[in-house]
Amino acid sequence: MFNYNFRWNQALNSLPRMLEGALVTMEIALLSMAIGVSVAILLTLCRLSGNRILSAIATTWVEIARNTPALFQIYMAHFGLGGFGIHLSPYVSLLIGIAFNNAGYLAENFRGALKAIPETQTRAGRSLGLSQLQAFRHIILPQMLRIAFLPMTNQMVWAILMTSLGAVVAMNTDLYGVTSDLNARTFRTFELFAIAAVIFYVITKAITLSARLIAARLFRY
Amino acid sequence: MKTPLFAFGLAVGVAFAGAAQADKLDDVISSGTLRCAVVLDFPPMGSRDADNKPIGFDVDYCEDLAKALGVKAEVVETTFPERIPALMSGRVDVAVASTSDTLERAKTVGFSIPYYAFENAVVAGSRAEGVASFEDLKGKTVGATAGTYEAIWLEERVKEWGSGTFRPYQNQADVFLALSQGQLDATVSTVEVAEANVKSGKFAGIRIVDKAPMVPDYVALITLREEYGMINYLNLFVNQQVRTGRYVELYKKWVSETGEPANLTINGVYR
Repeated sequence: MFNYNFRWNQALNSLPRMLEGALVTMEIALLSMAIGVSVAILLTLCRLSGNRILSAIATTWVEIARNTPALFQIYMAHFGLGGFGIHLSPYVSLLIGIAFNNAGYLAENFRGALKAIPETQTRAGRSLGLSQLQAFRHIILPQMLRIAFLPMTNQMVWAILMTSLGAVVAMNTDLYGVTSDLNARTFRTFELFAIAAVIFYVITKAITLSARLIAARLFRY
Repeated sequence: MKTPLFAFGLAVGVAFAGAAQADKLDDVISSGTLRCAVVLDFPPMGSRDADNKPIGFDVDYCEDLAKALGVKAEVVETTFPERIPALMSGRVDVAVASTSDTLERAKTVGFSIPYYAFENAVVAGSRAEGVASFEDLKGKTVGATAGTYEAIWLEERVKEWGSGTFRPYQNQADVFLALSQGQLDATVSTVEVAEANVKSGKFAGIRIVDKAPMVPDYVALITLREEYGMINYLNLFVNQQVRTGRYVELYKKWVSETGEPANLTINGVYR
């Protein structure tokens, strides 16, 4: 039996605050993707380098990022580092936690994309006089990013949804944080979370649609 | 022939219509079980003993209420934010969960009269050497358990001051962890919780420095807003708990053997 009368007045009054929260959520997701993609490229380079230590570091990173919950990673960025006297604000902890997770997943995506590019291309580049790094930069990287583009949008959607985990590190300005704060004050749980769900849906839908448009423009043959 | 049948049908119909109007109070009595939402990471009001059984002031209070109703008590563990969904989705009948009776919340749920009141203390962490009173928190990084009365109050103060930061952590343990790590300068928590945590020795470097200058945090039993029958019963029940001395007894059992429980009446006004 669901014994509940939906009353939207209080929840709708808080819509402006929730939309502000949605902006913060998008900001964190975008920043975390920018950091995540850069780090993932570095990790991919480390793995390609043939250097034992570098590739061990990259593998460890990917293993931890992919095989532990994002919640744990964010918690560790705040309380784990806090134990060593490194104090990050909730915003930075959340950003670092998600960026760490993004980098791990994207590095795996990039590895898959690399497999789809024939190795002979690097050798062809080298034989034309390019250095290893130049061959990677001019021949491999653009193709890799193209192949991994849709998985990257996937990760972006994931990043948006992961911002809701910021609550464990006392984040209260993102969409989830604002919603749960309003909930504590008004107890209008179902209305508030229904609105939050719609906002999340609209954001992620907008991301996948615009990614498709961008892909159509960028990757015309 | 047809008329008696019709009359019979009408009578049955009326009887069922009557049954359909049974309210929460009737439902609880006829089901034989009272399901209470209790928060179990909030000692001494609610926690678990060594055998993982729910114990605490709120647990006993729920059992007393069930006894008064002549039914069995069933404690359903919830977190603070989960209390309302549990109530609304019909998983519990009432919440005996130290719920602060704010006017904002009363727009959504039905409150009884207060059954307990908390005083709050300012607790400073390892990083905040200079904090000696509440006024010293101005401009500092402070935090409290998300969704509690003291968290809402403290956030308002930080906004008023226009400086400093407020951080709502998800649970009591995280607040005190952040405090002992030095991520927070101070927190405001109920005197009961503050004393228990300082005494436990689990959190190095924390200390109680001051009483928080706020209106006592009166907490009430809650049920659905429209369940007047139940609310009425709860009001009388709280009154009886105090009248019979059970309130003092529970206070001495769970909170403090030497202290005095808070006065639940307010001078100069009826309710």
